Amino acid sequence: MTSQTEATPTSGSMARTVRRSLQAPERRAGYGMLTPGLLVIGAVTIFPILYSVWMSLNHISLTENGFAMSFSGLQNYSLVVHSGNFWHSVWFTFYFAVVTVFLELLFGMLIALAINGIDRLKNLSVVVMLIPWSLITVISAQMWGYIYNGVYGVLNYLLQSLHLIGAPITWLGSATSAVIAMMVADIWKTTPFVVIIILAGLQMVPKELYESAYLDGANAWNTFWNVTFPMVRGSIALAGLFRILQAFGMFDLPYVLTQGGPGTATQSLAVLGARVMFQNLDFGPGSAVAVSTVILVLALSLVFLSAFRNLVREGESE
Amino acid sequence: MNSRTKLGTLGLSVLTLSALVAGCGTAANTATNTTSNGTSGTQNASGTVDLSKASGTVVWAASPIAQTGIRKTLISEFEKTHPNIKVQLVELPNNTDTNRQSLATEIGGGATTPDVYMGDVIWPAQFGQNQLAVPLNKYLPSSFFNRFASGLVQGASYKGNVYGAPLFVDSGFLYYRKDLLQKAGLQPPQSWEQLMSDAQTLQKKGLVKYGFVWQGAPYEGLTCDFMEYLTDAGGQVLNSQGQPTIDSPQAQKAVSFMKSLITSGVSPKAEVTFQEAQSMNVFDQGNAAFLRNWDYAWSNSQNPADSKVVGKVGVEPLPTFGGPNGHATIGGWDLYVNPHTKNLNASLEFINWMTGVQAQTILATKYSEIPTNAAVQNDPQVKKVNPVLNIVSQVKLVSRPSQTPSYPQVSQAIYTNVNQALSGGTSVSAALKKAQQQIQSAVSGNGGL
Repeated sequence: MTSQTEATPTSGSMARTVRRSLQAPERRAGYGMLTPGLLVIGAVTIFPILYSVWMSLNHISLTENGFAMSFSGLQNYSLVVHSGNFWHSVWFTFYFAVVTVFLELLFGMLIALAINGIDRLKNLSVVVMLIPWSLITVISAQMWGYIYNGVYGVLNYLLQSLHLIGAPITWLGSATSAVIAMMVADIWKTTPFVVIIILAGLQMVPKELYESAYLDGANAWNTFWNVTFPMVRGSIALAGLFRILQAFGMFDLPYVLTQGGPGTATQSLAVLGARVMFQNLDFGPGSAVAVSTVILVLALSLVFLSAFRNLVREGESE
Repeated sequence: MNSRTKLGTLGLSVLTLSALVAGCGTAANTATNTTSNGTSGTQNASGTVDLSKASGTVVWAASPIAQTGIRKTLISEFEKTHPNIKVQLVELPNNTDTNRQSLATEIGGGATTPDVYMGDVIWPAQFGQNQLAVPLNKYLPSSFFNRFASGLVQGASYKGNVYGAPLFVDSGFLYYRKDLLQKAGLQPPQSWEQLMSDAQTLQKKGLVKYGFVWQGAPYEGLTCDFMEYLTDAGGQVLNSQGQPTIDSPQAQKAVSFMKSLITSGVSPKAEVTFQEAQSMNVFDQGNAAFLRNWDYAWSNSQNPADSKVVGKVGVEPLPTFGGPNGHATIGGWDLYVNPHTKNLNASLEFINWMTGVQAQTILATKYSEIPTNAAVQNDPQVKKVNPVLNIVSQVKLVSRPSQTPSYPQVSQAIYTNVNQALSGGTSVSAALKKAQQQIQSAVSGNGGL
């Protein structure tokens, strides 16, 4: 963006003055144009967040006239922190996010490289690959429900026809297989998102770099490791961050596929929050779950941001 | 500057995402208020309202009853006799929990519609406590409530107020394949042990794939099934002081038997993922000898569009561990009125008609629902059409412990832990111990955490 002013062949101090005088009115106009958008964001995101925080600090009862709140300090949080159910959901959400995002980045990278490497039918491949991502999760989760069904499921049918299993397996019926089944459904759905971001990164890599690597006699692995990977690190980091954040809010997949079961094996934080809030109508403790989730996500994203900051910067400086 | 922009974008996305997570925390005031052009309730001297002149539009929110056409049939019959009142149907989802979620957020947020909604029989305590329903006894004369079969009004009450008008009753039944039992020379089973061995006989003879299907997924339906075994074994979830007594030898017997149905192969392993629809489907496809389901299953199994077992099905009270007849969980749906309604009179008149003889007869004869209106329930003409009604009187009905406003937490403690035991994730005794702890903290008001 700043390249134009920087490119003018003037001395340093002059460039600064020119830039400042040029930018001041532009900046004001920029803020002016941003204001409506920021107001909307404020109304639909900042306000609800602050309101949830306030709700989580109150004892809430529903009355004919709406919510009746009475301040109760950290009482709701004390419930949350001392609840085994909550920590179980934290642990599940955490490892589910880490495992799925890692695998999505890995598969996303491989698929992006494959698509980037082909000349014909490139657009078609991208479109086909995007289908899972474009399906509404509630629908795709229902679909996976049919695939995994323990009586008439397609997966059992296939495995039985191939004589890999003798009797049908209830994939969603035991904790381990339900978690794995759900991971597969999640990876299937969101890998395309990672592919798109990495593919964009790949297409920015200048062809000259590959030519010179070829001339230097680098093999495929060396080319990938020393040319491609450093160039798309930023994209990978970005995709990873987005996915981690989304994974922590995961609700629709477990809600439709397993109802959090068997037992509470796949009860994510969002499913727990919805149960407390909308089944039990306990809005105070429910808000405390939601706010605690936000705090966890914020803390986690700060860690990831600082870890990724260098990656992002290096990825961009090339 | 470039990397700062990017970080800014990231920061913003963090915010947006946390808003998504936190979005659950706000009272979603999303209900659209379609104005009903009705007259507001004019109370007469006795405190009750005069329904004869009611007019306007009633917005009725209801999930599908048995089959999709039924609500439209009822509405058009109602409108024929009430030319001044229009009824507008709003679809609610099938799942009772999703239902409650949308109603509680709408009404809790102050929406004036729906005026009347169909809600589960286990809601009066929770909805009464949270003022999500009008206490009907404040507006309707006590004579209104005499029409209902005994016990129903009490079930719709909380702390002395009646919050729902019973619309139809559900109860668990055992459906069996007449043709298969005949081929094997068996009588319909009277005890649970008998059911298990009959099922095994039929499976061994290769007559059917599965013996018995029921509801074992972690949701309200599992609590219903569990209550039947538990009560039959002589156990209770809460004692008369409202304290949990679920960690008992009786509950151990109940869950162990349910689990043995799966481990013995009488019920499919997938049982732990079955809700009503899945178990009904297996039975309708001719793949199960026995089915535990609600009364709608009769008409469903006799509908050639969905069922391969038309004319081959019998129904009887659920089996028992000891006594002459088994226990059946009572379910069903009530009509509730939104406290913010702008059209109380027309709403009450709608409820009055829906629980009257004409509507109840339609429900009982065309759709095999058990009517709540005592006169219709005992009508020999109705009994002739609906075989389920003939055996209702033999069934020992069991209520879920829904007299506490924290019933949803109590039920969650039951279905998550029993489901875990059924799927082999934990031992029966460990599951019951955990359920006991969770119910204990639920009744002392911890929000189900």
